[in-house]
Amino acid sequence: MLKFFTDTDCDVTPELARQLDCQLISMPFSIEGETTWPYRDTDEFDLHAFYDRLRGGVLPNTSALSEQTYLDAFEPHFARGDDILYVHFSRAMTATFDSMDRALAQLRQKYPARRLYEVDTKGITTISYTIFREAADLYRAGKTGGEIEAWAKDAVDRWAMYFFADDLKFFRHSGRVSALAGTMGTVLGIRPIIYMSAEGKMVSVGKEKGRVKAMERLVSTVEALGDAVADHRVVIGHTDCPELARELADKLQERFGGKLDIELRPVNPTAGSHCGPNGVGVCFHAKHR
Amino acid sequence: MKDYIIWTRPCVRLFQEGRDSRMQAQVLSGPMFAAMLRAGAANLAANRKRVNDLNVFPIPDGDTGDNMYMTIDSGAAELASARGDSLGEVAASAAKGMLLGARGNSGVILSRIFAGISHALKDVESADLATVNRALANGVDEAYRAVSVPVEGTILTVYKDAVAYAGARLNETSTADSYCADFLGELRRSLDRTPELLDVLRQAGVVDSGGAGFLCIAEGMQAALHGEAAAPGAAAPDGKAAGPDLSRFTEDSELVFGYCTEFLLRLQRAKVGDPETFDLSRIQDDLNGMGESVVCFRDGSIVKVHVHTKRPGDILNQMQKYGEFLTLKIENMTLQHNGTDAGSAAHSARPRKRYGIVSVASGSGLRQIFLELGCDAVVEGGQSMNPSAEDFVRAFGDINADTILVFPNNGNVILTARQAAELYDRAEIRIIPTKTVGEGYAGISMLDLTPEDPEEVVRGAEEAISGVVTGFVSAANRETTLGGVKVHPGDYIGFAGDVIYVDSPDRTEAAIALAEALKAGDFDILLLLAGREAPQDESFRLQAVLKTAYPRTEVILRRGEQPIHDYILILE
Repeated sequence: MLKFFTDTDCDVTPELARQLDCQLISMPFSIEGETTWPYRDTDEFDLHAFYDRLRGGVLPNTSALSEQTYLDAFEPHFARGDDILYVHFSRAMTATFDSMDRALAQLRQKYPARRLYEVDTKGITTISYTIFREAADLYRAGKTGGEIEAWAKDAVDRWAMYFFADDLKFFRHSGRVSALAGTMGTVLGIRPIIYMSAEGKMVSVGKEKGRVKAMERLVSTVEALGDAVADHRVVIGHTDCPELARELADKLQERFGGKLDIELRPVNPTAGSHCGPNGVGVCFHAKHR
Repeated sequence: MKDYIIWTRPCVRLFQEGRDSRMQAQVLSGPMFAAMLRAGAANLAANRKRVNDLNVFPIPDGDTGDNMYMTIDSGAAELASARGDSLGEVAASAAKGMLLGARGNSGVILSRIFAGISHALKDVESADLATVNRALANGVDEAYRAVSVPVEGTILTVYKDAVAYAGARLNETSTADSYCADFLGELRRSLDRTPELLDVLRQAGVVDSGGAGFLCIAEGMQAALHGEAAAPGAAAPDGKAAGPDLSRFTEDSELVFGYCTEFLLRLQRAKVGDPETFDLSRIQDDLNGMGESVVCFRDGSIVKVHVHTKRPGDILNQMQKYGEFLTLKIENMTLQHNGTDAGSAAHSARPRKRYGIVSVASGSGLRQIFLELGCDAVVEGGQSMNPSAEDFVRAFGDINADTILVFPNNGNVILTARQAAELYDRAEIRIIPTKTVGEGYAGISMLDLTPEDPEEVVRGAEEAISGVVTGFVSAANRETTLGGVKVHPGDYIGFAGDVIYVDSPDRTEAAIALAEALKAGDFDILLLLAGREAPQDESFRLQAVLKTAYPRTEVILRRGEQPIHDYILILE
């Protein structure tokens, strides 16, 4: 049997995981030395309270999982004779998967016949969620791990995500955005437009002054780069600003004649630690990233 | 020709001579010119406040007197480094000092007047009145060339009229005294005519401040000619030149920035042989090895040095191997009150980069904002305290870049920046003529430094500043009516450009009405910069009101801590 795994950095909640028959690995963050594992022990997570703390000036850190965490997650399934399909956030953004590789090396010794099929979404949050949903459709349609891995080879690069956030200090603190020019202030209305590159990294592709222009940039990017956008999922992610997400959705519908199937989805706190509150982004089917 | 006297002795002797002989003189010598310059500077120093107050706007930001005084004072100070006492040498050193020390538009124009005079007097030992008048006329041409769009009714007109009038009345019976009287008479008349030429002056009921400053200088110079001493203590700088804040370097402070070390070194024949053939690169190499931000140039046997170092003693000992010091100034840069404020990395060795950015701002918050936006250096200054060309040159020297982009952020600073660019040759300097901090913010925040071609970078910046509107709220210090708005002293006025939109006894009300007048709701962003006088809780309340009034506009509040302008509203 093939067991389906994902992690909380793909914006999957325990409730959704249960619906899709999926195991959820919690990706932790820490604030002032105190580590939180979202959705590990509870179904609920107060995102609004979390982002409000960030608004109040708190800068969280994220951390990699240990080898043992992966052993604990995977071994029981291998022991039962199951294989695993793991749709996860970008390898290029974390050291977590080095721990996973070490755990898998151990497990291969013990269970040589077992296999982990891996889909690197080359992204985090909204784009990872979208690709996760696509993979879940295939999984539930009975596709094998090998088939899904082969699908992902091309499919992952056909999803693009562009986003912006209010305050650059979170990006700066996380250090995970490349090409973030020095000529950008924090809280000065300047918004870098960031996308998930084909290498699975957050890369700044320019900047806009003010939310209105930044929003317009996202919409025109979807138009220019989109490929059969109306025939695929469109997911808008936001860090505790549903009204901005709705505004973006309205603008997109306006541009695409109301034909889009848009889902609004909050960004998980661990990914949100990188971009801070009041960020909004869109994932869509594209010619390329 | 009668009463032909050549003044070749210093002014001490001169003042002991009979008054009549000086006044009847027909030739100007170097020492006389030097004495007149010092007296001109002293007289302006005594009257600078009066000149400052000749302000079109009813707020206490007038600084023409200060700017012109600091400019001519730099010229007077540079007289010490004159290579000789010929008229040409004295004029050249005064002009050099003024070019570097120039502040504000009037200061720059003043420095160019004296530069023009000095060019015409090159190699002249002493000059008859016709030569003097030709030199003064060359000053007119040079000053007009310095400004891209000369405005009549300013110092330019006043000076031009005086030179033309006095020149036309020159004949063989003319004396220094009669020439001076003609010059000053027309200078005063022309100054009185400036409100006829400039509407803003007429409306504000003042004469042109730059012209008035020049009159002070000319009156001082005439007094020297008459052997009258300047008003006692007049030359002592007041007010603005406050001492350093010693509390900024405590018992536990660490020496991070080192010492700003400046000196004039006279090369000694006994130490270096012929000073004329001395290879200056020896000194430059020494300085580059021992300090940073080195600016070093020579004028004959005098070497002028500016260097940042943590061990000034080492440099002084080394330099003494070449000569002796004429002047010496060493300041702990942590205490430096004015000058440039750059990031902490500013004074460490940095690799050369393609572009550097210099901005101008006053107020700790504004400086911080510009550093956040990626500026390499922020020159202290702005409204009411304009930086000098030398301040810019120093900032340029701190930046290791091929092209330096300069954002003056004030209409009265652009010319100074241009002058500094002409004086600096270790990088290409491009001036983006931003007239307000709002334009500076717009231009710098949207800068794209990826193009190799600076032309393209500058074009992008100029596009970015085209749509920005900057409004100001300031306390009024006198009664006036401008553009139909009656201004009461003590009230707060809201203005943008030359237009006063509102007068209100309440600061917040003035800001709210100004936002309305500027149609804040049509803009994406309203950046509200709270000044030094605006209390924190008041500015928070104002932000909240503006947010409610303009729900579609992002209202961002930062403390700029700027003087004069209690609020700056930047709309984009």
